[in-house]
Amino acid sequence: MMIGSGAARRPLGRTTIHVAIVMSLAFALLAGAAGYWGVVRAPELVRSPNDAAVIAAARTVPRGLIRDRTGRLLANNKKDANGEFYRVYAGSALSQVVGYASPTFGRAGLERAYDAELTGLAGDPLTDAFAKFGARRYDPQDLTLSLALDLQRAAVAALGKRRGAVVMLDPRTGEILALASTPSYDASAVTDPDTARAAFSALQADPALPLLPRATLGRYVPGSVFKIATAVAGLGSGAITPRTTFKEQPAAEKNGLLVEGFRVQDGHHPATGATALDLVGATEVSCNIYYALTGLETGGADLVAYAERMGFGSPLPFDLPTAVSQVTNGEGRQPGGFADDVELANASFGQAETFVTPLQMALVAATVANDGDLMRPRLVTALTGDRSGTRTIGAASMGRVISATDARAINAAMVRAVEGPLGRKYTSGAKVTGVTTAGKSGTAELGGTGEPHSWFIGFAPAENPRVVIAVLVEQAGRGGEVAAPIAGDLMTLYLKGPS
Amino acid sequence: MDGFLLVLWAVRLLFLGLIYLFLARVIRALLRDLRAAAREPTDRPGRLIVLESPGGEPLAGQSFGLDVITGLGRDVNNAIVIDDPFASADHAVLTYRGRSWYLEDLGSTNGSYINGRRVDGVAPMGFGDELQIGQVRMRLERASG
Amino acid sequence: MTGDAAGMTGTTRGPALPRVLGPIRPRPRWLELRLLALVAIALVVGSLSLGATVNASFRLFDARGLAIYLGALLAAHVAQVLSGRRTDQVLLPTVAMLGGISLLLMQRLPQDLVTQTFFGVTLGLAEVQLVWLLCALAVATTLGIVIRSDSWLRRYKYTWAAVGVGLLLLTFVFGTEINGQRLTLQIGPFAGQPTELLKVILVVFLAGYLSENRALIVEQDTRLGPLRLPPLPYLAPMVAMWAIALGIVVVQRDLGAALLFFGVFLAMLYVATGRLSLVVIGLVLFVLGSALMATLFDHIRTRVDIWLDPFVDPLGAGYQVVQALHAFARGGLVGVGLGAGLPEIGGRPPIPEVHTDFPLAALGEELGIVGVVAILGLFLVVVERGLRIGAAAADDFRSLLAVGLALVIGIQAFIIAAGNLKVLPLTGVTLPFISYGGSSLLANALVVGLLLALSDKGVEPPPSPRVSSRWRRMGRRSAA
Repeated sequence: MMIGSGAARRPLGRTTIHVAIVMSLAFALLAGAAGYWGVVRAPELVRSPNDAAVIAAARTVPRGLIRDRTGRLLANNKKDANGEFYRVYAGSALSQVVGYASPTFGRAGLERAYDAELTGLAGDPLTDAFAKFGARRYDPQDLTLSLALDLQRAAVAALGKRRGAVVMLDPRTGEILALASTPSYDASAVTDPDTARAAFSALQADPALPLLPRATLGRYVPGSVFKIATAVAGLGSGAITPRTTFKEQPAAEKNGLLVEGFRVQDGHHPATGATALDLVGATEVSCNIYYALTGLETGGADLVAYAERMGFGSPLPFDLPTAVSQVTNGEGRQPGGFADDVELANASFGQAETFVTPLQMALVAATVANDGDLMRPRLVTALTGDRSGTRTIGAASMGRVISATDARAINAAMVRAVEGPLGRKYTSGAKVTGVTTAGKSGTAELGGTGEPHSWFIGFAPAENPRVVIAVLVEQAGRGGEVAAPIAGDLMTLYLKGPS
Repeated sequence: MDGFLLVLWAVRLLFLGLIYLFLARVIRALLRDLRAAAREPTDRPGRLIVLESPGGEPLAGQSFGLDVITGLGRDVNNAIVIDDPFASADHAVLTYRGRSWYLEDLGSTNGSYINGRRVDGVAPMGFGDELQIGQVRMRLERASG
Repeated sequence: MTGDAAGMTGTTRGPALPRVLGPIRPRPRWLELRLLALVAIALVVGSLSLGATVNASFRLFDARGLAIYLGALLAAHVAQVLSGRRTDQVLLPTVAMLGGISLLLMQRLPQDLVTQTFFGVTLGLAEVQLVWLLCALAVATTLGIVIRSDSWLRRYKYTWAAVGVGLLLLTFVFGTEINGQRLTLQIGPFAGQPTELLKVILVVFLAGYLSENRALIVEQDTRLGPLRLPPLPYLAPMVAMWAIALGIVVVQRDLGAALLFFGVFLAMLYVATGRLSLVVIGLVLFVLGSALMATLFDHIRTRVDIWLDPFVDPLGAGYQVVQALHAFARGGLVGVGLGAGLPEIGGRPPIPEVHTDFPLAALGEELGIVGVVAILGLFLVVVERGLRIGAAAADDFRSLLAVGLALVIGIQAFIIAAGNLKVLPLTGVTLPFISYGGSSLLANALVVGLLLALSDKGVEPPPSPRVSSRWRRMGRRSAA
């Protein structure tokens, strides 16, 4: 039997060469993969808290210290019985901000966000590459924060046993002066090797969620404090001017405003009678009708657009993780993502699908306070290392949101809301004696049963603001009664020092 | 950077370098080998196709590439093993000299036959000639076909 | 040259070729010697670097182990020189370099990862690996010297196939389960992985089968609609192969072995027939089969999930792969130096099973990308040599056998290296010559030994000009 001719006659050499080429390409692919993990992804992996070298270093290299703006120690290292380091903190007022660094429970807060720097592994790839040739690889950085420890403690004390948050910042630079969330917890108990396990399980089991940093990650219905954002959008887009009035507004005070069959009610101010209010007047009495009409006039697209300029719609550029604040959930077909005009009207005074973080509302106030130019919020102002020296992190702007003229108009309206004859009734506790104070209170209805959230945002002194504050107290009732006095006390403490 | 560390890194890099030096030498040997193979005019000077093999070894229809010297016989050390009762252990040798093939019968018991004629000692063979050893018939052919 | 034609009859057990061509005598192998010398120098320098890192002074780390290993290499070289066969001179040094790197790695890892007691003597990781390396060298060298005919492989292919299937079934039924995988067969004190031996048997069978039926498979077709398939009787063993591969995945949970077997099978099929369509069909079938397996079996699905994004669960299921990738990241371009990597977590190396599953990651951290590329290059050299031996072989069977053996090593190395680098899901196959493991080393030594035997170029042809007069003289003598 003869072997046929044709294909079988083809020598094996040619197919062998094909196989050789495929194998070479396959191995080249592997070499590329090695390059990818060893060079491209390396800087990120080498700093990750899961990296074995980082974990090993954490036990023998003292972690960087964390200090407040005056240099007082917020986080320090101590040696335990085995000679290994563990963290101690300056009190539970800071725990939501500074967090904890525990070998068993990982990291939270700034300890987590700046883990690489505190451990001493951060640096540019060039330093990394040469660090392994040198004897000392680790250069732990100390953090200097803009936080004021006394202010922070006062904020937590002011909130007391209630659940809530306080944000205080300097609008000119964006530096955070206080970032308090309650209930808080004792981070030192989590890092102390003797008490760690018990403390952590207790915290996880607590229904009040003490581990939740409400100031940055809590999302709440804003209520009337959102009107400032609506004002920003209205003036910025040109839909209204500070002197705009709506003729249907006084009548609607009694009967409610009909928007597509839904009645927007307002019951706050029979005192204004039949006057059509302008921006200042409406803000003084927190007129829902006026703002609903402003929102409708501005349109959903512009409302969302201006809100996004102030940070809505994405996580804020901040040292700590932040939740996304929203004006609407975006599922509607109308411009901006609203379902219909009813939702737009309600969102304009901070109800409907609007959810904000306290930090976000502080930024809204900061926009007005800094004449329309919003500065990026910052906690860490400097990093100091033995080898690398001190590196300061400067102020940065998030962009100009509205013109200075428009901002000044809203500023004036907010001053009236705190100091005007009618406004005083709603926000009396917010005024700092002897200083022109601006602000807006809010009572966020939650629908159904349950007390509304109590809000206040504001700044002082109004002519040249040095401090912005946002206060939220969960389900505490009317804003003017609970949040506003807290804000007033804290602003007084900052501007005038302890009494 | 202290001195010890410097020397240590020099040694480490030297280790890597030596592995690459080895690899380079190996690759040079491979390339030389490949180039030599490419320079050969044909892969093989010829091949032997088995026409008939009642014993099954070699397989009928099988084709053997021939070297310059190829041994045939029953002994397993031959390049072409012919497992036939009428084949001797070292039966014959096929060689390629100059540009011709030669078959040398190594004094086998039953002899080797080219085209039916018994080979005495050394005899020339051409492409297309049939070779018979024992009961196995083979034909000499060119390498490429 | 004396010689009596009559005296040449009958079976002679002596020099294999007639005296006219000269007896076999020891032949120098200078290239191999030079390459082995380079290997020795490199390993000495490597040991120095390891010793300096660990002991803070320039001393060899384990001089005795290294000396034994280098001595064995020299012995292997001398044995090959004495045998006088013109076998490949590049294979042994390349494998020796890989083995030496393995030895250094095992010396550097904690010795208590593996303890074995041989005849009352307890040995740690590096010592056991050294023992296996020596055995492997012995096996490869012996095979390279002794094997001169391939009929025992060629003729009994179905027997070999039966042995293979038998071994496989034995492991299915009697194998010990480790980590949910039935891979090990334990006979007395020795535990081995028959899968390693199976891959060689598979190649032998396929080489025999494909070389015999090559023409038929290529030329006669069964038509199945628009597809041209090989004739049905020949399709059967191939479908059986596919079924066995999937069976291994299901019963043994050994994804790597299935990939290896199927990859080698498809590659040899392509080399033998040149028909890309067969390969494509095979690949499609395999992908479909694996997808089916992935949906049915959780353990495969977890493997695939971890492969796609191990960082989702970095402390749980994805821990091994994540730590391996971190090791590559810490290594960077030139690594951190032998002995300086793998920062310990809780007193153990951060990568679990680093000596069997992740030696490449450990080497990636200590020798860097530069080192890893060199090692990949060494594997490619072994593959190239095997393919070259195949291309130069005398006939189809030897050709396919060499190609198959080369691919068995190459594809296995690819599969596990890809698993380490997250190019493929992690599987349990070993990195040839580098991973710890007796069965792996011995099986791969078997492969190298066979390749060496196949590479024999035969007796050197006598120099050209003087032959004609000799032939004339011979012709006169035989005629007498």
